[in-house]
Amino acid sequence: MSSYESFIRCRGVTKTYHKGNTPVTPLSALDLDVPRGTFLALMGPSGSGKTTLLNLIAGIDSPTSGSLHVGGVDIAKLKRGQLTKWRASHVGYIFQLYHLVPILSAFENVELPLLLAPLSRKERHRQVQVALELVGLGDRSDHRPSELSGGQEQRVAIARAIVANPALLVADEPTGDLDRESATQILNLLRELVREHGKTIVMVTHDPRAAAAADTVLHLEKGRLVEAADLNMQAA
Amino acid sequence: MLPLSYAVRNLFRVPARLLQIVLGGGLVILLLMLAAALSEGMDGVLRSSGSEKNIIVLGTGSEESVERSEIKASVPSELEAAVSGLEEVLGRVAVSPEIHYNGLLTLGDGPGDSRQALFRGVTPAALLVHPEVRLVEGTFPRAGEIMVGRLAAHRLGVGEAALKPGTQVKVGSTTLRISGIFQAPGTVMEAELWADLNDLRAIGQRDTISCVVVRLDSATFDDVEVFTLQRLDLELAAIRESDYYAKLAAFYTPLRIMTWVTAGLVVAGAVFGGMNTLYAAFASRVREMATLQAVGYSRKALAFSLLQESLLASLLGSLFAAVIALAFADGLSVPFSIGTFLLRITPGILGLGVLGGLTLAIIGTLPPAWTCLRPELPAALRSA
Repeated sequence: MSSYESFIRCRGVTKTYHKGNTPVTPLSALDLDVPRGTFLALMGPSGSGKTTLLNLIAGIDSPTSGSLHVGGVDIAKLKRGQLTKWRASHVGYIFQLYHLVPILSAFENVELPLLLAPLSRKERHRQVQVALELVGLGDRSDHRPSELSGGQEQRVAIARAIVANPALLVADEPTGDLDRESATQILNLLRELVREHGKTIVMVTHDPRAAAAADTVLHLEKGRLVEAADLNMQAA
Repeated sequence: MLPLSYAVRNLFRVPARLLQIVLGGGLVILLLMLAAALSEGMDGVLRSSGSEKNIIVLGTGSEESVERSEIKASVPSELEAAVSGLEEVLGRVAVSPEIHYNGLLTLGDGPGDSRQALFRGVTPAALLVHPEVRLVEGTFPRAGEIMVGRLAAHRLGVGEAALKPGTQVKVGSTTLRISGIFQAPGTVMEAELWADLNDLRAIGQRDTISCVVVRLDSATFDDVEVFTLQRLDLELAAIRESDYYAKLAAFYTPLRIMTWVTAGLVVAGAVFGGMNTLYAAFASRVREMATLQAVGYSRKALAFSLLQESLLASLLGSLFAAVIALAFADGLSVPFSIGTFLLRITPGILGLGVLGGLTLAIIGTLPPAWTCLRPELPAALRSA
């Protein structure tokens, strides 16, 4: 697979930050290509750089050096404000602890990304309803997060991540706080989003069962890729 | 932008904190309103008390206080004869001899029934130079009588019933009967008690009077001043009534400044207190704000939403302050050394309170909001 066709393309990505006067480099000269429509799991021990890589791919953080193309855009060159706008339409983020706004209903939480787009109220309502139906919570739209189970909350978070129809979803330990049954449902849902809706998903996980749901599993150690476990995707 | 409903609902997220902000902010706004009403009321009563058309002729060196002045009782007639062009009403020239006297008023027989009061000894000519004086009940005082200003009871700290017409009071050792009640809106006279000039001369055991007030028609201030300068033997000085009260107003300027300084210090303390509350409130929402940024909201949009919350709380505080001010402070009489004025919570003062509250909200919100939104996203998303 040529790098031209990669949906995500990292070249020489390094991330360094300072803890006091000590420089810390969680990612070092990383190269990676991920084709569109891939479900990629990132695994590795704590401090291996997997969440850093996830944040870089999601435009939550910027690399210190290197290029990072997502959907043809070198997001490494975008400034903070530009990254914020880019995230609104290109990426959906799924958090381990859901990060729903507690005072808003499921419907309103899912609606949040759409308030940034020039859509009519009616169109927003339709898209939110579609997203909630897709995650199986069409009948829970009026419920607040405190009135939902953990699995349901995570499904609301997934609906929020997909409602603006981004091509890329990033998930940071999406099943880490769920029981096995709920975790299985979430992983099935993520797989469905890749298979039937063509999303590209990058997921950080410690759980081998969760990683098994992905098409590809990459292992990181000390900021470097050490293993690529699929033919569809490769460490460049 | 986040919808306003997000800000509204966040307000009620912790009701106790909302109550603290609304009540705390409301009290500060109330203080601002009261300081403004106090300053405006005092300034207004002193400004309204002096007429541009009236000239006070009083003893040389007593321009600062007419109560200290003593001039011969013959001055009014000599002045009337010497200066032409004074106002005339139905053939009577507007020349009012007056005694201004600060003494004890005794309302009953008990030991605590005496009050320090402002008396003015007058003749019916006083009504020619003070046309704002209107009898609202009873009659103008004749010998053995006294009439009281509408706010005199408030200034003396007694019930209005204690000064109703027909009541006997004592000034010094002289018993006088209250003949009526008068009003002179917005002037210091409303807090005074007016007695017959000769009665007050006898009470004060004096042959002199305090001053003569004349009202100009075609005559000018210079005409009156020339008279005082020509009659060096009488040791007189002339001052416009408006200038006299302007000087008094200047005398009270430090008091007004102190009022504002005190209010300012309380407001500054409240800003820091409010800021502290908001630091705590926003600190618990760092992750939520980071999540919204991850979703695509800019820091500016989120700061605006946080500001909306504070502005809404401030408006609630202003509403609370306005209700308290209108219910308990509007119309309240405030005595001071030379008179009494009514606190008025005008639309302007309400507006000032609201504006002050909104300003405080902005000043108190921006630093905590910046602290909440400043952390790098990866760290903020991991925060507890």
